[in-house]
Amino acid sequence: MTFSPLLDQLIQGLRCLPGVGPKSAQRMAFHLLERDRDGGKHLADALLQALEHVGHCRLCRTFSEDELCLLCRHQGRELHKLCIVETPADLLAIEQTGTYRGRYFVLLGHLSPLDGIGPEDIGLPALQQRITQEAIQEIILAMSTTVEGEATAHYITEMIKGVKTSISRIAHGIPLGGDLEYIDSRTLAHAFESRLLLSSSSVAE
Amino acid sequence: MMQAMQACFVLHTRDYRDSSLLVDLFTCDQGIMRVIANGAKRPRSPMRGVLQPFLPLLAHWSGKGELQTLRGAEIHGTPYYLQGATLLSCFYLNELLVRLLHHYDPHPGLFRAYHQTLAFLQNKQHSAADKEGRLRLFEKVLLQEIGYALQLDQEAHSGSAILADCNYRFSPEIGLVLQAQRPSQDLARWVFSGKSLLALHQSELDDADCLRDAKRLMRLALAPLLGDKPMRSRELFVVG
Ligand SMILES: [Zn+2]
Repeated sequence: MTFSPLLDQLIQGLRCLPGVGPKSAQRMAFHLLERDRDGGKHLADALLQALEHVGHCRLCRTFSEDELCLLCRHQGRELHKLCIVETPADLLAIEQTGTYRGRYFVLLGHLSPLDGIGPEDIGLPALQQRITQEAIQEIILAMSTTVEGEATAHYITEMIKGVKTSISRIAHGIPLGGDLEYIDSRTLAHAFESRLLLSSSSVAE
Repeated sequence: MMQAMQACFVLHTRDYRDSSLLVDLFTCDQGIMRVIANGAKRPRSPMRGVLQPFLPLLAHWSGKGELQTLRGAEIHGTPYYLQGATLLSCFYLNELLVRLLHHYDPHPGLFRAYHQTLAFLQNKQHSAADKEGRLRLFEKVLLQEIGYALQLDQEAHSGSAILADCNYRFSPEIGLVLQAQRPSQDLARWVFSGKSLLALHQSELDDADCLRDAKRLMRLALAPLLGDKPMRSRELFVVG
């Protein structure tokens, strides 16, 4: 209680943010009121605008205030490549690597039978339609390394089996700069299973 | 007091607050129970990557009441490496357990069967048909454990032995009843050959017909227990 109902309301409101408990909500509220009222107004305005106008891109389902997001409208992207990710945050992470120039499809989740999340809930009918309609030659599955991510990747692979396109899954393995002895056994086993062939001539010679 | 580490599997996890998880465990000694894993989603948490379904774990927990706090968990034995359709089958096992077992209702026999079934399924040497047979046998054990065992070698009314060359109608409340006449069209899906019933009784599902019948019988037997809500993991097999 701060003896100001409006301030209490602000503190309560801030707590809907992840990682913000009562103490940090109070600190944020005091900071805005004491030191940065302009910043606060700007935040309030941006929040309202975003909540009002940001929806999902019709094509890739990432956040967008237009029917098509900037990435889908970008002329320079390779149209025959499609990378499938679970979340908009995953999309951004891949974009930041700067290695991929194709386009995306964002599932906004993964298959999880025990949570009642099925293929329709993660937009797979729309994905299938997109893959059959566009001339996509390469599909890259970039799911997380959980069992749900694995199940989702498997389902998508089965779903588009008849379509003429190459499908790959991003490799999981040893983090760069990691010593083998400190890596957990599952990651190491996985890295072993998906090892890369460097040369195959030695056996025959 | 800190209790000893117990054998268990994670059936399901759900996000809880910012960095924690609510974890449904299938334990050997206490059956299904829910624990909270504080901070398990933090990047450096030792439980990250461990609290995943289908890994044989040793874990310990403490606390009072229904929701215990997980104190630690580690992989015990060789971690299974499940992929593709096999992984979907394993989700199916978990969904069955979550839907049919009560919390804190121990079933050590079922726990062993679950562990053995996972081990069998992940073995790449086994054919798809062999794996399917294993799922049926797990369902059979599950029904036994929760008090709905199928009497597969005895006719329900007379008590006489099931004969391989006779037909029997399955009735969920009664059991298997001799079906002397040719069944009508809408009754046919409830009727099974004695041969298939005995094969399931002896846990020998090598024959393709017996395997198909076992699947049909298990569906009919499980349906009243599962209720109206469809099994979501079954839906994922449609394209497979
Ligand atoms: Zn887009």
